[in-house]
Amino acid sequence: MARLLASVLLAGLVLGAGVGHAHKIIASVFPSGANVEGEIGFSNGDMAADTLVEVFDPQGNKIDEVKTDGDGFFIYTPRQKVNLVFRADLGAGHVAEATFAIADLSDLNVLNETASQPSASGAQAAVSIDEIPNSSPNGGKVISREQEELIATIVRDELRPLRREITAYKEKNDLQSILGGIGYIFGFFGIAYYIAARRLRDKETKP
Amino acid sequence: MHIVDGALAPEVLIGGGVLAVAGLGLGLRKLPIDKIPATGVLSATFFVASLIHVPVGPSSVHLIMSGLAGLVLGWTAFPALFVGLLLQAIFFGFGGLTVLGVNTVNIAFPAVIAGFVFRSMVSRRNPVAAAVWGGLAGASSIALTTLFVAVSLMLSGDAFAPAAKLVFFAHIPIMIVEGLISAAAVYLIVKVKPELLMPEDHVAGFELSASAVNTKQASEVNNG
Repeated sequence: MARLLASVLLAGLVLGAGVGHAHKIIASVFPSGANVEGEIGFSNGDMAADTLVEVFDPQGNKIDEVKTDGDGFFIYTPRQKVNLVFRADLGAGHVAEATFAIADLSDLNVLNETASQPSASGAQAAVSIDEIPNSSPNGGKVISREQEELIATIVRDELRPLRREITAYKEKNDLQSILGGIGYIFGFFGIAYYIAARRLRDKETKP
Repeated sequence: MHIVDGALAPEVLIGGGVLAVAGLGLGLRKLPIDKIPATGVLSATFFVASLIHVPVGPSSVHLIMSGLAGLVLGWTAFPALFVGLLLQAIFFGFGGLTVLGVNTVNIAFPAVIAGFVFRSMVSRRNPVAAAVWGGLAGASSIALTTLFVAVSLMLSGDAFAPAAKLVFFAHIPIMIVEGLISAAAVYLIVKVKPELLMPEDHVAGFELSASAVNTKQASEVNNG
C-alpha cells in the first residue's frame, strides 16, 4: 500500500513537473523604448518558457506572434500604432492575457517613421534612426543620442526588478482580503439563515 | 482547476452558466435550515483552502476541499462552492466572473457525485473506516473535476486525451493531499458530530422533530 502510494506520488511528480498547476497566471507588459517587454508565468514563480505569444489588435485581429525565452520573457517591436493585446495559451485552461496602450511607448515618433518603411524590420530601423546624431543649437551641453540611449537602457535595467516587485505585490493576497472574504461568506449565510427562519415562522404561525 | 477568463468558447460558458443555475436552484431548495451554518462554514473552508499551498516536490499545490463539502452537504454543495468561487474571483482573481458558471459546475458537481457515492459508507460508526472512505471521496472528487475541466476544454476546441492527461496528472499531488486531509476531517466529524454525515432520511427525521418543537414553541407563545 505504501509502495503504491509512493509510486503514484512519484508518477505525479515526474509527469506533473513543468505543468501549470492550479495557480494564477501573471502576464505583464511594459514599454521599453521602441519595444514592448513582457513577462508571462505562474504566481508560484514558474515562468512560461518557450511559449508562443500571439499579438492582437483591439478588434481581435491577429497581428503578429513572438516566443518567450527560458525565463518567460519576451520583447516585441510594434509595427502599427494600435493598442496591443498579448495572449498566450499555457494549456489546461490557463490563458494569459495582457493589454498594452500604445501611447505608453516613449519612442512613438520612431514607430511612425518605421511604419512608413515597411521593408525594414522594426528593430533595425529603430536603431538606425536613433543613431542619427542629435544636432543641438547649444553645442556640447546636450548629450548625444548614443548617451541618451545608454542612459535609457541603464534606467530600464535598474527599474526591471522594481517592476517585477510591483507585479508580485499586486498579486499578493493579504490578510485583509482573506478575512474580508470570510466575513462576506458568513454575512451571506447569515442573511440566508434569517430568510429561512422568517419563512419557517410564517409557515408555523399561520393557522 | 480554476479555468480563467477567455479560455473557453462562448457556448461552453453559457452551457456552464445554465447548469450552474440549475444546480444552485436544486441546492437551495434542498437546503434545510439546520444545514445553513454548516454550508456557510464549508463555503468559507473552500474559499480559504485555495490559499493554503502544500509544497510537493519542486512545486506546490493548493487545497480545494470540495469532496468534504459534497459529503456533508449533498446538493447544497452547489451554493456553498458557488459563493466561495465568486469571492475567490473577486478578491484573488482566481478564475473569473464569465467562467464562474463553468467553474461552479466543474467543482461542485463532482463534489455532489462523490457525496452521493460515499456518504453511506462514511456515515458508519467506525471512525477509521469512515475516514478511509472520506479520503477516497476527497480524492475522487478532484479526479472527476479534472475530467470535467478536460471536457470543458475539449468542447472549446482542445483535443480531449492530451488535455485530460495533462490536467489529471498535474492534480495527482492534490488528490493525495486532499484525500489525506478529507480523511482527517471525516475522522474528526465522526468522532465529534456524526449526525453531520448522516444520510438524508435521518436528517429529514431530525428536521421533522425540529419543526415539531418549533410548532410547540409557537403555540406556547400564542397561549401566553
